[in-house]
Amino acid sequence: MTLDKSQAKRLVDLVLGQASFGDVRVRISSSRRGHLRFGDGRPTTAGDVDGVTVAVTASKDGRTATVTGGRTDEAAVALLVQRAEGLAGLSPVDPEHMPPLSAQTILKVKAEDKAVAGLGAAKRADLVGRVLRRAEGDKVRVAGILEHEHTSEVVGTRAGLMLHHTRTHASLSATCRTEDGTGSARSGYVSHALAGLVPEALVSDAAQRATKSQLPVRREPGRYPVILAPQAVADLLEFFIDGLDARAADEGRSAFARPGGGTRVGERLLHASVRLWSDPADKANPAEPFDNEGRPHRKVTWVEGGELRALHQSRYWADHQGTEDLPPPSSLHMDGGTDDLEALIAGLDRGVLISRFWYTRMLEPQRLLVTGLTRDGTFFIEKGKLVEPVRNFRWNDSPLSVLAKVVALGKPQRAGLSRGRVMVVPPLVASEFELTSVSDAV
Amino acid sequence: MPTSRRQFLASSAGSALWLAGSSAGAAPPKGARKPAPATTPPYDEQSARALAQSPVASDVALARRAVEAAVKAGASYADARLVLWRSERISVRDGRSRPVRLRERYGLGVRALADGGWGFAAVQTLSERAVLEAATRAVQSARVQGKLTRELGKPLVELASTPVVQGKWVTAHELDPFDVAPVDKAAMLIDVCAAVRKVAGVSFCEASFDAVAEDKILVTSEGSELHQILFRVEPELTATAVDRRRGGFAAVGHDAPGMLAGWEYLRDLPLLADAEALGEQAVRKLHAGRVEAGYKHVVLAPSNLWLTIHESIGHSTELDRALGLEADFAGTSFLRPADTGTLKLGSDRVHVVADRTQPGGLATVGWDDEGVEAQRWDLVKDGVLVGWQTTRDQAALIGEPGSRGCCYAEGHDNVPFQRMPNVSLQPGHEGYTTEDLINSTEDGVYITGRGSWSIDQQRHNFQFSGQTFWEIKRGRLTRPLRDVAYQANTVEFWSSCDMIGGKGTYRLHGTFGDGKGQPMQTNAVSHGCPPARFMANVLDISGDSK
Repeated sequence: MTLDKSQAKRLVDLVLGQASFGDVRVRISSSRRGHLRFGDGRPTTAGDVDGVTVAVTASKDGRTATVTGGRTDEAAVALLVQRAEGLAGLSPVDPEHMPPLSAQTILKVKAEDKAVAGLGAAKRADLVGRVLRRAEGDKVRVAGILEHEHTSEVVGTRAGLMLHHTRTHASLSATCRTEDGTGSARSGYVSHALAGLVPEALVSDAAQRATKSQLPVRREPGRYPVILAPQAVADLLEFFIDGLDARAADEGRSAFARPGGGTRVGERLLHASVRLWSDPADKANPAEPFDNEGRPHRKVTWVEGGELRALHQSRYWADHQGTEDLPPPSSLHMDGGTDDLEALIAGLDRGVLISRFWYTRMLEPQRLLVTGLTRDGTFFIEKGKLVEPVRNFRWNDSPLSVLAKVVALGKPQRAGLSRGRVMVVPPLVASEFELTSVSDAV
Repeated sequence: MPTSRRQFLASSAGSALWLAGSSAGAAPPKGARKPAPATTPPYDEQSARALAQSPVASDVALARRAVEAAVKAGASYADARLVLWRSERISVRDGRSRPVRLRERYGLGVRALADGGWGFAAVQTLSERAVLEAATRAVQSARVQGKLTRELGKPLVELASTPVVQGKWVTAHELDPFDVAPVDKAAMLIDVCAAVRKVAGVSFCEASFDAVAEDKILVTSEGSELHQILFRVEPELTATAVDRRRGGFAAVGHDAPGMLAGWEYLRDLPLLADAEALGEQAVRKLHAGRVEAGYKHVVLAPSNLWLTIHESIGHSTELDRALGLEADFAGTSFLRPADTGTLKLGSDRVHVVADRTQPGGLATVGWDDEGVEAQRWDLVKDGVLVGWQTTRDQAALIGEPGSRGCCYAEGHDNVPFQRMPNVSLQPGHEGYTTEDLINSTEDGVYITGRGSWSIDQQRHNFQFSGQTFWEIKRGRLTRPLRDVAYQANTVEFWSSCDMIGGKGTYRLHGTFGDGKGQPMQTNAVSHGCPPARFMANVLDISGDSK
């Protein structure tokens, strides 16, 4: 069930009409989702899910509670509001509570695709059947998932806020492994639209790279120049963007805190070629135009010429510090050049090509030091050529260090593994990356 | 193995029937449920009250209708799950309360097997029409998958048989965590934070209580009908010391774990008593020294070792991973079914048990999400791989007659699949204490708490950090350390295990957040262990070497 704009607004009014507190916010998310998984050459599990969540936040004298339920009939909604107000009464005072948002203007974002909204079991089986047949033809074992979603989000307050957004989302992820189990590669498609999805091309691309990665040789760990494919760059940037929290920096517990007090905004932390920005209204890669509280996402430049320009924060912290209210962004773009991955490889004398990362975790937050492993295709490069596949590595390094050591940037593209944030980033060459130990995993 | 599988199946068939129709408050016949009467909490007055108050029970007729409709539409097997998931989060930061959050998810999921394929559909609208539509949709989808499987010439889904059971099971608890007012819970946390922040040098303190209630009914087309209510609670308490002038900080988290329990577990934790010590640990860590890196002994406290067990043995013995079904996300496994009974992955003293009957274990249940009774079995015995985690559609793939009862779905709208049971390292027979392990160590590091964790997609190479670190020299703890991690490869690491603490040192830890599957679902799971000693690459991650 995906509520259209008028249904969603009617439901918001129904909820707000039940409230007795002046400060009440409601967020309603309704969706129709489906998926089909596959593995070992066959379809495995599938699902069709209709869902709606209604989250009511009620506040009085700083006592605030959020109650989330899943029913939309009048009686259930009245009960939900009653419970939120009741629970708020039983809650302690939150001294950081902010008054409700009034009407906001948001960027116009077009993110609804009819083909995705109409997907069902038969079309899914057709697309996945094409994946499985091509994988069989390419002599690889494939596993993955096709997912689709049609979602409507609405946020309203009794202070006059009313924001609505509808989007679709489609993704196909496929990992191909060679029959001897020594080679593996992954391809992914993710977009609001279905038109660009060609299952056969996606599988064959992964199958070719999997075959190329077969029988990897062991190379000693150490500091190497590296080429990071866009997915690997996106994996690292997640830590960077999440780390840009203003409060943690102001409080001295972040890599973006300046020793002696203050933050590092205005400092040139990264290579001069690095520019990072967000734009929910980007045509090819639309993202959420507002967050759960109804705070608009705007076009923001986070890093320009390697210099840190902005930090994000809660509404309370923005108010407390007297700074502009900037929520963590729904999309992240990194500028690049025009070279594809092959051109970057041709330009490197010696180094390691990394296709993607796996199990990345913060290791030491003072320096934004992260650990993780390489996965699904790691290769040694000599004199501009891939000379051999190498065993995967564990690495311990920081996105701050990698982005300071940028040597070249390729053409930006959408990273296929999405964790809720739209990432459009280039492949990059860094002069040094710390590979710390060898992993036997394929 | 503790019980032969045949015996277990024979004794459990129908043995849970005593609860069916039992009036609320009726005294349970002691030990009526096999195979784990000694560890299954008694069915007491509190449990009866929880069942009587459950709003889910009144919708059971809809679940039955869904299953009937699926069978009528051509399903060879179908099940319906009604799941009411409630979660509450109370959190404070530096003595100031944050907004209370209460979340409810409720609906019905129907799973159908038709023409050899799986289908699933879920709805939140619990009307007869919506439920029947979901059932039909699940069967139609199953048929599409079955047809594709046949066209591809692949094997169809086959379900291992399981006894038909009707029963009820509730987490042993004194107090329903949702019966305690948020303001009272927050008051406790505010007191604890205040005590932590009294320590000179501590700048920040964050604390929270999480509670989850999973109230669910399973109805299968084979005639099983099961009502279970699970309560899980988890505390978090972190002290942070900041050196503003030099620009450094250090945080230490309390190691009290999440448990399958009621409010009484959180109420009785010694958080307030430990507050000062925790604050002091944070300050000590801020000024602690660097580790001498190298290949050496690590003595791991249960609060650290549990996660290493989870990642290196828990995940590698999941059968779906070994079969390649999770290759696109969670990964595969270095273990293969053909290795069963022969592959040595640890020293002789390594005995690892899977157990969904363990009191307090976050993955402990009466039955799994396809009606298979909770059980206990060996995964690793004398250091050798001997068992796997399975579901009904996996058992036949390794020639086992029945499922190990590892089927779980997070909510009504998630597809059930194989998830991890509680997986625990058994205590050593020598009766060692933590002091014995330290005293026997010439050069090493003693590590407590959960820190950074990361492991590769086949579970060979891992790296873990912790919360507190002490240097060990000549059998003594000599100085506190910071910025320490240990890296090893699973088989080398477990093969190097040469000392394991005794029964008295065994502790249960766990997580609410074990992620797996596509779309990803989370599972709550516990891991018990004593402290143990290993060899690993100890790393200095302070970064000063750059």
